[in-house]
Amino acid sequence: MNFTAQELKALALPLLACLVLLGAGAALIAWTQQEQRAAGGELAAARDQRAQARERLMRIAEEEKEVKEKLEVYLRLRTLGILGDERRLEWADAMTRIRTQRELPDLRYRVERQRLISSVAGKPANVDFYASAMKVELALLHEGDLLNFLADLRESGNAYYSVKHCSLSRTGAAPATAGLAPRLRAECEIDLITIVDRAAKA
Amino acid sequence: MKHLVYFTATDHCVYSWAGGRLELQARFPGDDTGVTGFREYLAGRRGALFYAMADLAGEDFHEELIPYLRGGDREQVVQRRLAQRYRDTRLAAALTLGTVSGERRNERLLLTSFTNTQQLAPWLDALTEAGAKLAGVYSVPLLAPALAARLGVTGGRAFVVSANSAGLRQCFVEEGRLRFARLERTVDMVPDAFAAFVRTETGRLAQYLATLRVLPRDGPPVRAIVIAPPGQRAAFERALVSDARLSFVTLDAAEAARKVGVKSAPAHTGAEQLYLHLAVKRAPREQFARRADRRSYYLWQMQRGLVAAGGLGIAACALVAGANWLDVGGMRGDTRRLRVETEVTTQEYQRITSAFPVTQTTTDNLRATVTEFGNIARRTAAPRDALVYVSKVLNDFPQIELDALQWRLERPDERAAAKPPGGAAPAVAAGGVVQVLELSGRVGAMRRSDYRAITAEVQRFASALRADPAYRVVRSQLPFDVTSEGTLSGDIGTAAETGEAPRFTIVLARNVQ
Repeated sequence: MNFTAQELKALALPLLACLVLLGAGAALIAWTQQEQRAAGGELAAARDQRAQARERLMRIAEEEKEVKEKLEVYLRLRTLGILGDERRLEWADAMTRIRTQRELPDLRYRVERQRLISSVAGKPANVDFYASAMKVELALLHEGDLLNFLADLRESGNAYYSVKHCSLSRTGAAPATAGLAPRLRAECEIDLITIVDRAAKA
Repeated sequence: MKHLVYFTATDHCVYSWAGGRLELQARFPGDDTGVTGFREYLAGRRGALFYAMADLAGEDFHEELIPYLRGGDREQVVQRRLAQRYRDTRLAAALTLGTVSGERRNERLLLTSFTNTQQLAPWLDALTEAGAKLAGVYSVPLLAPALAARLGVTGGRAFVVSANSAGLRQCFVEEGRLRFARLERTVDMVPDAFAAFVRTETGRLAQYLATLRVLPRDGPPVRAIVIAPPGQRAAFERALVSDARLSFVTLDAAEAARKVGVKSAPAHTGAEQLYLHLAVKRAPREQFARRADRRSYYLWQMQRGLVAAGGLGIAACALVAGANWLDVGGMRGDTRRLRVETEVTTQEYQRITSAFPVTQTTTDNLRATVTEFGNIARRTAAPRDALVYVSKVLNDFPQIELDALQWRLERPDERAAAKPPGGAAPAVAAGGVVQVLELSGRVGAMRRSDYRAITAEVQRFASALRADPAYRVVRSQLPFDVTSEGTLSGDIGTAAETGEAPRFTIVLARNVQ
């Protein structure tokens, strides 16, 4: 069937209407499919959140036990002064006290500036771990003085003392007469670690 | 609204049809004045849809046999046969009667046309000129099979007899296909006389068809469905007595109209109302109009088809979209339910945790603080244990004198960087920390020249340091280099031994737990 120009003109509008309707239908399907994808994503996220919430609730007994255990350590860290800002004056006091108590002939130390060694994500704020490197030079009467010094230092608190290096050497030949002259020399490098919990209540 | 033009020998009526209701719009005489009036009537109806139905006496029926063909070939053969049969083929149709199997397969055709097509031509031209859409030109017989079916004739042979305005219409239908028809003019008669007339004419037609061998002579009685004019059923039933040739079934016009689906028709309209209604609702494929006369109708159908395709398309899309939307609704409902459950679970968790011991920080920070501190503590060690261990071993070696002792923590990466070429590396897990103890000393109370004894003493000391499997000797430097790679030197025969005792170095390692 061959169409005249007038007939083609008469068919143009219905053809356009047909195309518009089909286009609208396709657009409708595309839109609903997009909504489907979005709703599917939200559903998957909601499932994950519910699963996490349920798992957390199921593990609450373990968590309570964990909190109790960890709280004990946390409070101990706070009591020892490890948790909180640096207390450099207390460190100096401790060094002086140990030297006097142990009657160490010579004790020199130097504490470097504080540096951040790690930052752990918490909620609502991070927990930052800092270290200040301390170099100590000791004159010792015998080896035990070094061990005692380190033990005293640890007991003094106000930081967690992480010994990185210690060397022990003789100062020279032993004196002929018995005396209190130091026979050994020790050099140690110790990290004084403190923790700052940004969410901690004062 | 649809329009129907009902052609009879005397006058032509225009009916409108809408929802099964017929209304008489106009009546025109069958002469030239009628055509003029029809043209005036059409003037305000451009684009209107028209059905033409002829109820004329001069309708020819002729049976032909053609080879069994399909498509264009069949159309060509049919047109050739129509042209051979009729002088004017403008209003001619070929109705199939089925195939005949013999030596070769043939098709039976019933060729039909009007004896005088010129009485219809001006009216059809008027429709075309007025821009009306002509759906088709039908005759009452063409619609008889549809009427028979609506009246309950499902197969076999049957006469459909009706009292139309044009006269008494008798159609013979066989297996749902028209075989023959005739129109007998009638005059006003009383019901009993008219019923007797119907009886007589039906018998004559049966006789005629039997003569033509269309009806078998000794076959069973043929059903004759007679539609009696309103109020005359009783008279018809009295007159139409079945016999061996005919079995009459009489229907009242109103009952027939109900069965066909006519809801209303103008008063004094004959049984043509049934055919008119069927022309709209059950129009057969075969009709008389040429393709050229129906061009506007085809175009209109294409327009409707396009819009309908669009409508169907969007309806299908809407169905799919609706299903998708239901799915979305379901998922959103599930999401809301899950969120409520999560909220309830979280509140329950918070209710329980509120009874936990009071902390000075959040649970997360508490966990983070203690866990990370534990990690740091695990990577540290005090030199005390290592020094005590060496001290105990030294108790068994009074000849060994230590000059220096160095303790340090090493990470594997640092150690790898500082590892001397060829030096043994202590086995340690990746990421672990080792404490390294480097001992430097001498072997006293032995003659310097007694290198065998000195070497043996140092080796014995190194072995003793391995007594605890946690400690490993990762490197040792003997006072005398007895390896093939080193340089061995000596000073034999000197009267007095001079210089310091030979030095050794042993490096111990232990993993930090």
